[in-house]
This record gives sequence, structure tokens and C-alpha cells, in this order.
Amino acid sequence: MTAPEPMPRPPDIAISVEDHWRDLVTAALLGTDRRGPPAPIPVLADLIDDTARSAPSERMLAHVAACTAIRRAGVMPGPMIDPLAPPDDDDRPPCVPAAVDRWHHITTSWPVLDDEWMLTLVGNGWRLAPELVPTALGRHRRDPVRHARVRIAAGPLADWLIGHLPDLASTQPKAIVDPEALAELPELPIPPDLTALLSASGAEVGTVVGSGLEQGDFGQPHRGVLVNLVARMVPSGLADLATVLDAVDPYSAGAGTASVLGDLAITRHRMLDELSAG
Amino acid sequence: MGTWSVEQVEALAPRAAAITAAQPLAASARWSGLGADDRAVWGACQGSGAEPYDVVVDHVTVGWRCTCPSRQRPCKHVLALLLLWVRGQVPAGVATGAVEAWIAKRPAASFSSSSRSESEPQPEQNGGEQAETALGAGVDDDPTPAPEPPSDDERDQARDERVERMYAGLVELDRWLDDRIRTGLADPSVARYATWDDLAARLVDAQAGSLANRIRRLAGLVGASPDWHDDVLAELGILHLLSQAGRRLGSLPGPLADAVATSVGWQVRRADVLAGVPDTDDWVVCGRSDTREDRIEVRRHWLRGQRSGRWALLLSFAAYQQSLDTSLTVGTSVRADLHRYPGPALRALMGDRHAEPIDAVPPTQSVAEACDEIGHMVAAEPWLERVPAIVCARLGRRGDHWFLADATGSLPILVPDQRQGGDDGLAMLLARSAGQPVDLTIEWTPHGVTPLAIHADDRTVDIGPRADRSFVASA
Repeated sequence: MTAPEPMPRPPDIAISVEDHWRDLVTAALLGTDRRGPPAPIPVLADLIDDTARSAPSERMLAHVAACTAIRRAGVMPGPMIDPLAPPDDDDRPPCVPAAVDRWHHITTSWPVLDDEWMLTLVGNGWRLAPELVPTALGRHRRDPVRHARVRIAAGPLADWLIGHLPDLASTQPKAIVDPEALAELPELPIPPDLTALLSASGAEVGTVVGSGLEQGDFGQPHRGVLVNLVARMVPSGLADLATVLDAVDPYSAGAGTASVLGDLAITRHRMLDELSAG
Repeated sequence: MGTWSVEQVEALAPRAAAITAAQPLAASARWSGLGADDRAVWGACQGSGAEPYDVVVDHVTVGWRCTCPSRQRPCKHVLALLLLWVRGQVPAGVATGAVEAWIAKRPAASFSSSSRSESEPQPEQNGGEQAETALGAGVDDDPTPAPEPPSDDERDQARDERVERMYAGLVELDRWLDDRIRTGLADPSVARYATWDDLAARLVDAQAGSLANRIRRLAGLVGASPDWHDDVLAELGILHLLSQAGRRLGSLPGPLADAVATSVGWQVRRADVLAGVPDTDDWVVCGRSDTREDRIEVRRHWLRGQRSGRWALLLSFAAYQQSLDTSLTVGTSVRADLHRYPGPALRALMGDRHAEPIDAVPPTQSVAEACDEIGHMVAAEPWLERVPAIVCARLGRRGDHWFLADATGSLPILVPDQRQGGDDGLAMLLARSAGQPVDLTIEWTPHGVTPLAIHADDRTVDIGPRADRSFVASA
């Protein structure tokens, strides 16, 4: 095999590290068996001891290593970039950080409260915290009503964001959203014998639910409707309900469900407190 | 002693609110007589009563006792004690008579109904360290005591054999690199995973685990982008640099030799790192990023000393269904001892914590100043793959490419869907900044920067890439 010819270059032309790197990539694509490495530029020549590297591949590797180190360590700011036009102003205050944290908890643990959280936020004059907007838009992009609700809650920022990141747009952009549905909490299935508890005090609800759980009247199959009851009962009773559920006999069969419902009651109570009108 | 993770303590709580209630009590100032050994952890907590509550937890067979009147099991005092313990704030000690008596009544391997169920957490036996070793990330920390400690001669011989194996591995690596450069990146062998995987396996055998991981990451770059030849060639160059430096360790200055040895894969015992002089400071947790490396999820916490201005990197690892470190919150500062790995290493281990975390914001700088800082760190260790920086910049866009920019220039943002599998961080940054300048912690890589956290006046928002929740047990 004959020795490969080095890449030709006029010796009197100084080239930049970037240009030299392009030459190295070209040579590396072909392989030094077919194309020798380019002659080192002065800044690299000092770093590479060619006398100890007889093979073209060895010289090439030394070039590549030195050039990579220089390019990486010489990180420089790129060109100036025009600023983005900001979204229109929104006078509403953003919801407080505690409400942001609560929303994350709700969406992972208690999605049954998601609609009420968003409606309460809008109803009490808050704006969706900016950091929640992408997640909320993405979460509801297949649900035209909820997606529209997020856009209302987020204000001009939502459409501005969708303009930059179209993946956050609704998957049904032409769907007609009923304004009434937009402002209403969806109904949850609650059996007739429990509907009276929707307007009862926390102590009353706690007595029925707590004793039912302790005595085994309510079991795992009832958990869903009990969750719905706590999610829709009058808010003023939530704290009392949580207290009663906390006192359920921990050795009873329903202790686990009582604990879960207690967490739901406290979560909803705090959620409404954090979103109360400022 | 196998310490639990925070997630294991959280899993023990009867409900999320119990952990919330325990957090304020998980402060050393609330406790007296704290101690732990390889079976139990104990202490007395000053509660609302006149007398402190005596608390003891059997962390091996999982059981607890607390003299408080709560009917919640475990109560918040038990959870608080465990939280203190997992944070390393409970000193090793000799069990008191009462603790010994209680432990003695507990069967060694049978669990009472009140203390454990199938669903309760089991302490992982050295899970994190196994993961680290699997990564070749520089830790060799097998807690199983050897029956007889090796003599000095045996230790020296083992070390010499290890150096020899590593040297042979580096020679083989250079030969392999030479083959790639001779035959060219367009050669079909480059596209075959076996070409890379076989070498990685041999490097693992040669105890150059870090290089093996680097080779496997490099294999993933082949064909990954239109410019993959650029990326692969640059990494081959860095591997050559490490290989050459690794074969000349004896002639390198001490700190540089340490840095090279660690980057090649020379393992340092965790205990040796922790025995080093601590770097005590108020450490601001500036940012966090999670990346999947092969079958391991890696979490990086970037800390910056408020007094020294020095950066430090804390790593945690999780294999499938293991937990990552959640004890650090981005946007807080904690006064603590950090113990650095040998050399000018960014990597460190957290030692003692001296105070509760408080909210904190790191100082910021321009894009040009950030480039300067990054350049200095990379010049010292050209093989660094990630470097942190803080910058005040706004988002800009050219076509499909996003940038962080100010009056001094711009930095390209790493295209998220190419490298991380999502663009949540970019969307969050876009929403939070709304076209205005923001203070950010970023992670520089040779391919672009990743925004990790937004430091606003009212709060810090952690927007770093997050581990897949279906893979890790807790993230």
C-alpha cells in the first residue's frame, strides 16, 4: 500500500480552527488509508509532536484530540439574536406558589379536583401561574372544554405559547365549546342515599362515612362514590370531615380508605383556601 | 449500615400528610440522645408534652416504638427520626439499655403485623453503590466486610495488577481508535453496535469503566443527527486524549493525574472520599438534571458555594425501580461539608449538614461571562461532558433553533427532542420568561446548553430533564 497523499493546501493561507476541523472531518470520513491528515495549523502544531507519530492515523488522532480540546475550551458567544415579541399584558395576579404545588399534587393524586381548581382560579380573579401553562395545555389538548378553560385561565400567554409551540394546541381546534360547559363543574356519580350529605356539615358527613368505614358498611367498592362525595360536598365541612376521618379506628378494615378520604378532604380544603379571592 | 432513602421513609408514611407533619420535627435541634447502629436508630423528641417522646426504629426488620399518644402508625416522630437518619444527621452510637431491651424482644427475622407488611419498603442493600460501580463512575464500596483484611503486600500487588490491566486496556483502546481513523467513519463497521460494545466490554474487564460508558454513549451518536460524523470524531479525539494521558499518569502533575485517573475509571472508595478534608460552605442547589445511561438513571445536582463560588457535582444513580436522591431541593442553600473526589474534581459527596436548607438564589452573569467560566473549566479538563453555569438571558429563536441571548451574544439550546425525549423545559422557560430576561442555571454540553432552573424573585422553578417515572421508583 502506498503512503497516502496529504490533503493539499496553500501554505501561506492561515485558516481558522473551524476550517481545520472541517478538513479533519473530511479526512476522517474517508480514513487515513485513503486520505492523509491535513497539515496542522500553527496553533495546533505547537501542541502536537509529529516526530513521535510516524503513522498518518496517529498524527490524525493527535490533531483531532487537540482541535477538539481547543474548540470546546474556546466556547464563544454566538451571534446576537432578536428578542421575542412578548405576549399581551394580563392584569390578573398569578396564583400563589402554594397553589402551584397543590395543582401538581392534585393532577398526580386527586385528578377529580382538577376542574374545580381551574374554575375556582378563574372565578376568583387569579391567573394561571406561567410555569403551569405548558403542562396544563398539554394535559388537556384532547379535551376541547378543558383546553379552552386553560386558555382562559392563562390569558394571552396561552395563545402566545401555542404560537411558538404548536404541539400545545388543541387536537380539535374546530370543536365548538359550549360556554355553559366551560363554567360548570362536571357532575360526578353519587348514589341517592348519599346525595343528602352533599349539603350536610362536616361532622355529619364524618359520622356517616367514618362509622360506615369502621363497621364495614363501606368497603373498597364504595371508595369511588365516597371520593365523589368528598369532592363535591360543601367546602365549609371539609376540615371537620378530615378530623373525624383521622380518628377512625386504625385497626378497622376501613382505616385505609378513611386515611385516603381524609387526605382528599384536606387537599380540597387547602386548595380552596389558596385560591380564595385575594 | 445500610441507610434508607428518603423515598423509603415516605413510603412508610400512612399518608402524604404524615411526612408533611414530620418535616418540621426532622431538625437536630428538636432531638436529644440521637444515635444509630446497624440495627436501630433512636432519640428523644421534644413534642408538645412536658416530657420528650422516646423513639426507636428497627431499620432492619422495620418496626418502631414511640411514647407519644398518637394513633397514627408510624407517628410523625418516627418518620422525623428516619428523615434525620437518611440525611446523615444521626451519629453512630451505642444503643442504650432501653433500646437494646426493645430490640431483644423483636424476633430477628419475623415481622409483626404492626411493623411491616408486604407493601412496606425494604432497605436496598447497597443499591446506589452497585449502580455506581455498574457505571464505572468511580466508586468501589462493597459494604460486606472481608473475613481477613489483606496485608499491605497483598494490597500493593492487587493495585499493581489493576494498574497493569488498565494500562493494557488503554493500549487496546488506542489501537482500536487507530483502526477507526484508518478505515474511516464511513466504514460499515462503525454502524455496527458490536464494534463499540465489544470494546466497551473489554474496557470494563480492564477496569476502565468510565471509558466503557463513554464508548457506549458514543455508539448512540452514530447516525443520530446529520452532523454525527462531527460528534463522533470529536469524541474519538477526547478518548485518544484520555488514553494518552492515562498511559502517562506518572509524568502528569498530581491533581491532573488524579483527574485523568478518575475519568478513565480508576475507582475511589467512598469512604476514602469522605475521609478527605471537607469543603464547608453554604451550597446553593442551583440545578438538577436526569439522564438515562444504558440501564441506569443518573441524577446530577449542581451546587455552588456561596462563599467560594466553586461548583460541585453530586451524583445519584437508580437502576430499574430504584430511587434517585430527592433530599436536595433546587433553589435552596444548605450549609454542609462536601468531600471532593481526587484532583480538581467537580464531583463530590455530601458529608455533614450543619443547618436546615433555606431559599437562595445564585449570582448571575452575562452570556459572555458564562462562556468564559465554562471555557476555563473545560480547558482544565477537556474531557468534561457537562459543565454548569448561571446566566441572565432571554430566549431567542432562529427558524427551529432556540437560543439564550443577551447583549453579549447567544448560546444554542440543546434540541430537547433529540437528546432528552421531550421539550418540557423549553416550554416552561418560554412560559415563565414570556420573552423577558430571566436568571437561569444551565448545563453546557458540546452540543448546546440545557436550561435547568429559573431563578425568579418569588421562587426557583426546576425545569431540568426529569427521569422517566415508569423507570425509577421515585423521582
